[in-house]
Amino acid sequence: MHLLAEVIEWEIQLFILALAGLIATKLLAGDINTSGLLYGRISGRKRGQDQYFSPERVQLLLFTIGAGFYYLTLVLDNPDPGTLPPVPQSWAAAVAGSNAIYLGGKAFARWMVQRPQ
Amino acid sequence: MEMLSLVTGYVICGLTGILGLLVLWKIANGSIDLSRLISEPNGDASISRFQFLVFTFVIALSLFLVIVYTRGFPPIPGTVLSLLGISGSSYLISKGIQFSDPAGIADRATDIVISPATAIVRYGQTQQFKADVPRKPGSTVTWQVIAGSGTISGTGLYTAPAAAPPGPAQTQHATIQVTSDQIPDASDLAVVTLA
Repeated sequence: MHLLAEVIEWEIQLFILALAGLIATKLLAGDINTSGLLYGRISGRKRGQDQYFSPERVQLLLFTIGAGFYYLTLVLDNPDPGTLPPVPQSWAAAVAGSNAIYLGGKAFARWMVQRPQ
Repeated sequence: MEMLSLVTGYVICGLTGILGLLVLWKIANGSIDLSRLISEPNGDASISRFQFLVFTFVIALSLFLVIVYTRGFPPIPGTVLSLLGISGSSYLISKGIQFSDPAGIADRATDIVISPATAIVRYGQTQQFKADVPRKPGSTVTWQVIAGSGTISGTGLYTAPAAAPPGPAQTQHATIQVTSDQIPDASDLAVVTLA
């Protein structure tokens, strides 16, 4: 029975890792559409002239990847491996702030940018 | 009885493993299409969806590692739930802003566009067609004459038949189809009128 439990563990672990690896590979190879990931759209402008490079998306991307890796390191270095470690309040606040900046930029492009007459 | 449960366990484990491999294989060869995994209806990739994707994998992997260690479901810390809540709320507000603009719910651009869409070609003459694949510029395409006469090369050069078919004069047409080799189900048509 112990061997069966180990086989199941390896099976699930390999599946999650292979799935994550496949998705990461497809993202990097361009098989998963990433066009416009770092570009926002300004409302009211013609298609093709409404995109702008969006720093608020870049910082959200960096915070997201950073927070993801940071939490994985917390899990791997957890002194009590039987529990999920809590996310430090400062990190939760940083991710919340990053999302707020992103939403602020999006709202600005939607309602505040002057539209062509 | 214990033997039976052990055998059943191995059979279920084997079947689950085969199912997992099948899913991975179908994703790898493109039968399961993930090309729009983080895309919006208008075709743009979404940073909010990307954030969901990253957090989902991180939490799933972490949870699995802990479950393997404890053989039980651990309590989820409040701050982890807050993080997921922040991500989810941000996604909802972001979509609210996007969908408040009619352009935000416009359909995505066509996957492949043939040009010209119609052409008049004299018997024995040629016409060059082009295909634009906005989502994957430079990707390879396949040309076919799916109805009518004439031939088309791999580069989209259509050659009309040398002469009109015998019999009463009647306008002849040919339909050309271009399909993308990278985007499943993406195709466009052009109609040639032979003169």
